[in-house]
Amino acid sequence: MPGKQITDVVEQLCRRCTENQAVLVVRRDPLCRDCFVRYVHTKVIKHMESFRVRNADPNRQRKLLLALSLGASSVTLLHILDHLLETQTSKSGRTGFGLSVVFVETAGDASHQDRLSKVRQAYPDYDIASLPLHDVFRLVPDQESLSGLLPESATVEELSPADKLVTLFGSLTSATAREDVAATLRTRLVVEYAKSSGCEGVLWGDSTTKLAEKTLAETAKGCGFSLPWHVADGETPFGLAFNYPLRDLLKKELVAYVDVVGSPLPSLVLDSAPTQASMSSKNTTIDDLMKQYFESVEVNFPSIVSNVVRTTGKLKATLTTNDAPACDLCSMPVSDGRFGIHGWGGDQHGIADPILASSGRRLCYGCTRSIPSTTNPTNGSA
Amino acid sequence: MAPSLCAHCKTNRALILRPKDHSKLCRPCFLTTFETEIHHTITSTGLFTRGERIAIGASGGKDSTVLASVLKTLNERYDYGLDLILLSIDEGIKGYRDDSLETVKRNAEQYGMQLCILGYDELYGWTMDQVVEQVGKKGNCTYCGVFRRQALDRGAARLGLTHVVTGHNADDVAETVLMNLLRGDLPRLSRTTSIVTSTPSLAADPAANTHIKRSKPLKYAYEKEIVLYAHHKNLDYFSTECIYSPEAFRGSARALIKNLERVRPSAILDVVRSGEDMAKLVPDSDEGCGRVCTSSVPAAEEEQGGCGSAQGPSSGGDLATLEQALSSDDRAADAALEIEITTSSIAKRTAPLPLTVGKSRKVPKAPNNTRKQPKKQVMGQCKKCGYLSSQDICKACVLLEGLNKNRPKNHIEVGYEPEKEATSVAEAVKQLDVGAG
Repeated sequence: MPGKQITDVVEQLCRRCTENQAVLVVRRDPLCRDCFVRYVHTKVIKHMESFRVRNADPNRQRKLLLALSLGASSVTLLHILDHLLETQTSKSGRTGFGLSVVFVETAGDASHQDRLSKVRQAYPDYDIASLPLHDVFRLVPDQESLSGLLPESATVEELSPADKLVTLFGSLTSATAREDVAATLRTRLVVEYAKSSGCEGVLWGDSTTKLAEKTLAETAKGCGFSLPWHVADGETPFGLAFNYPLRDLLKKELVAYVDVVGSPLPSLVLDSAPTQASMSSKNTTIDDLMKQYFESVEVNFPSIVSNVVRTTGKLKATLTTNDAPACDLCSMPVSDGRFGIHGWGGDQHGIADPILASSGRRLCYGCTRSIPSTTNPTNGSA
Repeated sequence: MAPSLCAHCKTNRALILRPKDHSKLCRPCFLTTFETEIHHTITSTGLFTRGERIAIGASGGKDSTVLASVLKTLNERYDYGLDLILLSIDEGIKGYRDDSLETVKRNAEQYGMQLCILGYDELYGWTMDQVVEQVGKKGNCTYCGVFRRQALDRGAARLGLTHVVTGHNADDVAETVLMNLLRGDLPRLSRTTSIVTSTPSLAADPAANTHIKRSKPLKYAYEKEIVLYAHHKNLDYFSTECIYSPEAFRGSARALIKNLERVRPSAILDVVRSGEDMAKLVPDSDEGCGRVCTSSVPAAEEEQGGCGSAQGPSSGGDLATLEQALSSDDRAADAALEIEITTSSIAKRTAPLPLTVGKSRKVPKAPNNTRKQPKKQVMGQCKKCGYLSSQDICKACVLLEGLNKNRPKNHIEVGYEPEKEATSVAEAVKQLDVGAG
């Protein structure tokens, strides 16, 4: 942890500038405050190359949406992009891109709004929206397939978006299913908001560590097929581009950055309790497990974390998937329309009609594990 | 609470909670369901052909014992028309393999199958005990894995057959998927998820051990269900684990798989599914072209035989080695160092480490082209032993050369017995005593 590192490097000089006292060790190099800040900025700006001023059409401002979670990573990204835009303006009088920010609220937590207003004060130049998750039942154009995920007993027409969300979550049978569905809906809400506000891409604050977690978590959820769109920079089946400018920075480096830069950052970041897997596996989620796993790997084996991300980046989406039918929940293209958990080798039953077996809903393999089946209750996971 | 009835036959009392989907079954229904699922795997993948002679790689452990038992049952029930033979490899590990081989011998009698035992000492002139004596406990699994892979192929060739089935289960495959993601080995990821792997025939020399097909009929079977099946069928198997050190990397992946299974029982199967889907996304893989490319079956030459004896979270043995290699690569890339440095670091790594793919983009282009694209494996034959290999000299011969180089000058015969050695040392000591006195 950063605090410990600072005591370790007392009396050492920064390896980059060889002038100042080092304040922490980054990938085995002792660095001073300035060199560390420059290190972080360089890693981010490298991924914003295509949004430089000289690539921008002066008559048409490109707009990007930053998805803010109020964690150390996304707050840092906002801080660095603000700095980048300021530099661009001071150098050329204009910016390479416009920035909007969106925060997705989780129900029943008021502490977010307090932090969010502080963020608005600290970065007054940006339009920072805050949306409740149930807005996904308002903004997504294809409401029919999304509402089809609610239990059949629900009278969909009479429910408000908020009630729909509560009904959907009420029907989910495990903690991991609830977290998986919430994350998927959050992504879809951010995408729809980006489209409705004229943004051509979404900037996510995922660190290397987070992307590695995501790689293994999606693999464990049976969503390996969709990894190229969840971890790599570029166009997605959502119809806009995803970018991960923090992809070369470890979570611990971003936490250290918040500390080193100081005010106002520490007051904006929501305190995240150290990940501790719940004692009962009933309350543990797959995401929790992966988070815990990589937090421990990151301490001693940072290169393994980045190697996972680099490796996943080499997976290539196949051409045919672009016009394949999409999953009702995650909206990812399912090749050959192989919906549901049936109709592959591991099924071992040989159900003739996979579409029929998935009870009319068109869910990809991974999402089928989360949404309880209406026709075949024994097939759900406990 | 009233005892619940079997979800399948609805008559007997349910005794078994299926680990895979938590359905409640009675004992006979569980056994039949398990067998039927393996039958489905075999028929839907067209694994066997009528009249085929098949070697079952038998270690005496639960997986291969269950595999032999289920295959015998299914062969009779569905009239596959297969000729099944047990093939065991004797690595030469005292206190482990000699005991488990006794189990295999009993199995051969119980199932009425022919048994062939092939020893490392016979094939390579080294038992694992001798290898460990020479290289130490660390890293000896590499030797064992490389030797075993060839040994099974050679044993199959000796028996005059071309298909070996192994007891790899869903947990093993899921572990391998996570492990290959962790060490960044995409080519191997795409190969190991396939139910059939094969060393494509070179045809030129029918005597060579090349055209051997490998398959894993238990690929979708949960380890826990295999244990349950063995228990409820009263199978005779050997459950002690290998006495030498486990593969640390696999241990780390295994711990993760077990935790995932606790959170969501289907997770093991889900990882296997993800692995299969991801195999199609690996550039240049055979899977990617919809299996219409030249070789429809992935080559398996360098697949490592995980001995599956690892348990618990790893102490991080080879995690640390990989970390070091990766971070020195990163540093070289950051500093844009010249090629000599990067290539030498690669050469140094090839032996004990899995090939890593991620490399720098900053390294100067011209002399480095060979490394730029992930090399497509070209299969040839080992110049020493004729075994199929992507290198001039196959991995086993490289390892053997290293071992033999360090062998004591006074030549030790193949029929070497440690006891004799011990007594002769004792005699020598006695003589010394006499001399001193």
